[in-house]
Amino acid sequence: MTIAVLIIVAVVSVFCVRLVDIQIVQADSLNAISLASRSDSTVTLGTRGDIVDANGVVLATSILRYAIEADPSAVAEFERPGPDGTGEVKVSAEQAIGELASVMGLEPSVVTAIVTADPTSRYALISKSVDVTTYNAIRALDIPWLYYKADQSRTYPDGSVAGNLVGFVGADGSALAGTELTQNACLAGSDGSEVTETGEDGVAIPGSTVTLKKAVDGGKVQLTINADLQYFAQEALAQRVTEVGAESGTVVVTEAKTGKILTAAEYPTVDPNNVDATDPAFRGAKVFSDPFEPGSTFKSITAASLIDAGAATPSSQVMAPYEYKSGSAVIHDSFFHPDMPWTLTGVIEQSSNTGISMLSNNMSVDQRWDYMNKFHLGKPTEVGFVGEDSGDILPGGVSGPTQLDDQTIYNTTFGQGLTVTAVQMASAYQAIANNGVRMPVQLFEGCKHEDGTVTDAPPTSTGEQVISPQAAQDTVHMMESVATTGYAADALKIPGYRVSAKTGTAEMSNGSGAYGGAYLTSMAGMAPSDDPQYVVSVTIRKPVTITSGLAAAPVFQKVLSQALKTYRVQPSTVPAPDLPTTY
Amino acid sequence: MKPRTSAPTSSTEQARSARTARISLGRALQPESRSYFLLLGTTLFLLLFGLVMVLSSSSVSSYAGSQGSFGVFWRQAIFAVIGVPLMLIISQLPVRVWRRWAWLPLVAGIVLQLLVLFTPLGIEVGGNRNWIGIGGFNAQPSELIKVGLVAWLGVILSKKEPHLHRWGHVLIPALPVAGLGIFVVMLGGDLGTVMIMTALVFGALFFAGIKFRLLVIPVLIGIALTLVIALTSSNRLSRIENFLGIGSGDQTGLSYQNQHADWAMAAGGVFGVGLGNSKAKWLWLPAADNDFIFAIIGEELGLVGAIVVLALFVVLAVSFLRIVRSSTDLFSRVVTGSVMVWLIGQAFVNIAVVLQVVPVLGVPLPLISSGGSALVTTLVAIGIVLSISRHSEATADGLSQKKVR
Repeated sequence: MTIAVLIIVAVVSVFCVRLVDIQIVQADSLNAISLASRSDSTVTLGTRGDIVDANGVVLATSILRYAIEADPSAVAEFERPGPDGTGEVKVSAEQAIGELASVMGLEPSVVTAIVTADPTSRYALISKSVDVTTYNAIRALDIPWLYYKADQSRTYPDGSVAGNLVGFVGADGSALAGTELTQNACLAGSDGSEVTETGEDGVAIPGSTVTLKKAVDGGKVQLTINADLQYFAQEALAQRVTEVGAESGTVVVTEAKTGKILTAAEYPTVDPNNVDATDPAFRGAKVFSDPFEPGSTFKSITAASLIDAGAATPSSQVMAPYEYKSGSAVIHDSFFHPDMPWTLTGVIEQSSNTGISMLSNNMSVDQRWDYMNKFHLGKPTEVGFVGEDSGDILPGGVSGPTQLDDQTIYNTTFGQGLTVTAVQMASAYQAIANNGVRMPVQLFEGCKHEDGTVTDAPPTSTGEQVISPQAAQDTVHMMESVATTGYAADALKIPGYRVSAKTGTAEMSNGSGAYGGAYLTSMAGMAPSDDPQYVVSVTIRKPVTITSGLAAAPVFQKVLSQALKTYRVQPSTVPAPDLPTTY
Repeated sequence: MKPRTSAPTSSTEQARSARTARISLGRALQPESRSYFLLLGTTLFLLLFGLVMVLSSSSVSSYAGSQGSFGVFWRQAIFAVIGVPLMLIISQLPVRVWRRWAWLPLVAGIVLQLLVLFTPLGIEVGGNRNWIGIGGFNAQPSELIKVGLVAWLGVILSKKEPHLHRWGHVLIPALPVAGLGIFVVMLGGDLGTVMIMTALVFGALFFAGIKFRLLVIPVLIGIALTLVIALTSSNRLSRIENFLGIGSGDQTGLSYQNQHADWAMAAGGVFGVGLGNSKAKWLWLPAADNDFIFAIIGEELGLVGAIVVLALFVVLAVSFLRIVRSSTDLFSRVVTGSVMVWLIGQAFVNIAVVLQVVPVLGVPLPLISSGGSALVTTLVAIGIVLSISRHSEATADGLSQKKVR
């Protein structure tokens, strides 16, 4: 009896020691090993955020796709539930391949070739990306040797509308251009990871999933763009560029009071869904990245500066010759005329190079460049768009404007010898339209996160007074004469609204300092002139059939009309001031 | 059912009969003894606990084996439903039934075991030919041999009681018959069962009060034979090599089972992962519902649950020992003692295997592991002890009543 008790006590003691050893002392290390060898880690997708326009129209979004993979070594006959849900039916490998091919819209021979290429292999890719409908149909086939991997793909529902701004991602989902790249930090989601413990047969054990890292969806980027207006502008531009045989063109519409870009159209425009179809030169956003010599549309800026500095008024008088010589500089007007008694208004209306050059003598060169700086020329806008160019208001190697040669000093008064981007030009006109207050250029409303918070919203700004309200209003009124009595007046009229505009026909540099007979025609302006709301700036490069501002005028007129209509702007009630153009 | 005796034919019989009659009257007025209820209660608790654990541990493998999640559980439950009434009926049988019929299960078990060995009815599982399959119903004749040995050894040794100090009387006929029973099981190759049966036989001899010196030689022979058998089978040799840490130790080898048992228990920690939440049962741990069910208990119910199970077996042992102590005749002592050695020994071997204290021996955990025939024979054996407890307690009634006062 005693022996039996002693044996039992001894054995139970040994067991207790072993139990404590395994379940407490060694537990952590054993658990680490078992978790590692019995679990399966999976990546959970953090969805890339959408890009939407000002009204929430989706311009870029992510969709779920599935990769269909096979285990060729396991391809064999299998059983699956019968069609009536009861019993099992045998399915041969050939039949399974046939069904799979028909669901995927492939030839059975194609699928057969993939899965029989190396029958000992454990992996073969049948399709990199199928949509959810196809995926569900494939899953319904119950084929045991197929594996599925979820992935996300990027799609652009509106195609090429704002394609230049939206940009695109590469095949691997990495951001390559446009807003996709500029706002990648906001848009990019971060993939999470989960560990699921599985049974020996690979089946996930219910409730065993542990999230190691939570997948975080990317934020939504809202643009200031109005997709409808953008589409309209792209269509109008495309039509006109084709009509006049031009190479390309841009249209920028900004809101005068806020500096928001409502439209930044280009032709040609990339379709982000099919990037390869577009010439690599046109896959970016030229409105930001491609500086050009603006030509005569710059005269408004020079005039505004002169008026603000008190160096001129709309009625300042100048006897403008066809040819004006000063120092080493020789300036010509674009058409021959005798000496004309033009006011500054007349110089703007007639777009006289000699007139603006002579009037600019009333102002120091440094002062004029100060105004250019205040108009935010020569530096990138606040948008910070990827590949954005700053433009050049001073050639490289020149430390100050006074070091420039006479010719360049005069050329810059009418927009030659310096470069700006389309957006910079639109921004300068915005300042003129907004009583001289330049608002920071805005394209992004910010990054809206999953939890509803918005980050990276542009700081609220009251803008910067570049010129006095009076100087700004005078400039707008002077530009109104272009639309009422200038050579392109008929093409610029918008019934019910007063329109201010300035034509431009810049000679394009051939890239090595010389001018090669190609033109950039442009038109920039705003409406309604009594209280400007919208600023439109159009450029058309290398037109063939029409090389004057008339090439751009119809696009300007259509887009501006559309903007006024879209935003239901009150028609003008006050008649235009009749500024004298001659004396 | 009250045990009634037939008319006495001799003086000794008459005396016993009179005693029996007195017992009957006493029992009619008072409930069963404390040992009876301790044993019955512990048995039923272990059985119900076992059913729960079998359901939990077998649900996945049973489903994967196309038997449905409850397949293994229902089989076990049916055997419990058969076994428990059988145990209760046997517990009410008079002891003399065993004196007369003890040879029957032994002979039947040996005959069935021979059928296993030499006819296609035998089924080999894991290298051991220990199962008989008749009409989709599998059973282990060795279990029946165990019951037979318990009862028969009790009868033979009590008949030889006056001569047990003499070696020859111990030897004949107890050891040859027991040896035959063990030998036919050994031919099937189930070393674990052979060891339990050997221990059972020595337990019987021990509780018969045989001197140690008489047991030394058979014990040595038994150990020698065990070693020979162990080392002549590649299956067992690999298990032993694995235990000693000199085997291949790869995941597909036998260490795989021990490794997953360790992982399971480690996952359980102190309080367990909760009933039904085992991960090892997801086809990782082989034999999760029988030989390694203790690992699943350790995982789901933790250190606490494992120690409770150990404690239950200790309580079971205590109730056996109480019955042994209170019994006045050799038959009761031998039967109760050998059943205790069988069940508690088997439980300890099983747990020792799971805890890697000894090499892998395929023995199930009594009353808990799934396995129908083993459950029924275990309940039958306990039923015999219960019937003994009623008689021996009654015999010692005067003594216990004195104690109470």
